[in-house]
Parts: sequence; C-alpha cells; structure tokens
Amino acid sequence: MRVSLSLLGRSAWKGPHVVPLPISEAIKTGAPIRTNARSCTIIPQFVGLKFQVHNGKEYVQLEISDDMVGNKLGEFVATRKKFTYKYSKN
Amino acid sequence: MGVHVFGKSIKHNSLVSVGLAKKIFGVGFLTAERICAKVGIYPQMRMNQLTEPQILAINKELSDLTIEGHLKQKINDNIKLKRTIGTWAGQRHAAGLPVRGQRTRNNASTANRLNKLDRHT
Repeated sequence: MRVSLSLLGRSAWKGPHVVPLPISEAIKTGAPIRTNARSCTIIPQFVGLKFQVHNGKEYVQLEISDDMVGNKLGEFVATRKKFTYKYSKN
Repeated sequence: MGVHVFGKSIKHNSLVSVGLAKKIFGVGFLTAERICAKVGIYPQMRMNQLTEPQILAINKELSDLTIEGHLKQKINDNIKLKRTIGTWAGQRHAAGLPVRGQRTRNNASTANRLNKLDRHT
C-alpha cells in the first residue's frame, strides 16, 4: 500500500548525496580515504573500502560492509563522547 | 462476548473497521477501512453482524499483510541491524535514549520506556 515510503526522504531526481572522493585510487592501492564529508551517502561502490571519517577531533577508521549501503558516513562515527562518571576524592 | 477474527477476540458491538484497527497490531484505521471496502462491508456494520464467509474473507485479506508477530519481528530486526552495523541510531536504541537528537537533560521518559533492542518481545 505504501510503495513510495522509501523515497519519502529525498527527491528521486537528485539522486543520492555523494561528494567526489578518490575511490578509484583507493581500489587500486587499498589506502584509506580520509574525508570530512560525513553527510556523504554510502553507495554500493564503497563496499570493502576503508574510510577515515572526521568526528570533529580526529579521523576514525571505518570499513564499509554490505549492510551499510544507504546510510551516511557520519552515522558510523560518533561525535559525542559517552558520559562516564569520574570518581575524584576531593 | 467477542467475535474472533485473525485469532483475536474483538468486541461484538464495535464497528468492523474500528475493531480491526484497535485489536490488530499493524492495522490502522485507514487499512481497516480499505479492507472493509474490499470485502464489501458497509461502514456502519458492527462486529456481530458479520457472517462467516465475511470473516473468512477478512482473514484472507489480513494474511496478505505484514502484521502482528511478523511486523514486530521486522521492527526488531531493523533495530538490531542498525546496532550490528554500528550506527548512531542503533547505539541510541541500545542505550535507551532518544534517537533523533531530542534533549536528554530531562524529558526522555518515552525513549527510556520504548527504545530497546528487543522493542517487541
């Protein structure tokens, strides 16, 4: 009944949001791609490549698997530190 | 006193579309109305006025949809997939915190109640 639900996010004519990245080089050399483009959509060509995605402070290594296609690069690299209570005596 | 549709006991004096929408997980008012229209039930019909063939026809329509256990399983699987591939949404579900950037200083009680990896057990 709801065929268009998967398309509701973004206009189809735009295609996925992808920024130019040196993919062909990375396939040849196997070197990780260092990028700040957290909003770049993961397309099937990225599968198996290594990325270093910026989290605001440093670049976090990430390997793209099959299930990740369709998500954004930034979803896999958290920008927040998890809160832990630090016990101090004074 | 209830009429049994799709393994659920629905109150005998409720409207057919309302009864279906209230009792069956994954069927809302819109879907229920569409099912009724397809089977050929007029909108004011009550549960106890249904004949046996009509109940069978409703069951047949419902069995084509992903509802109840299958839908719950699907929702759980989607959440688990997000967790296993390590997305932020999956982490927030595992932590029982809001997923879409809501505040957590206070007022995160709905997320605390609902956001789990096994949302529908």
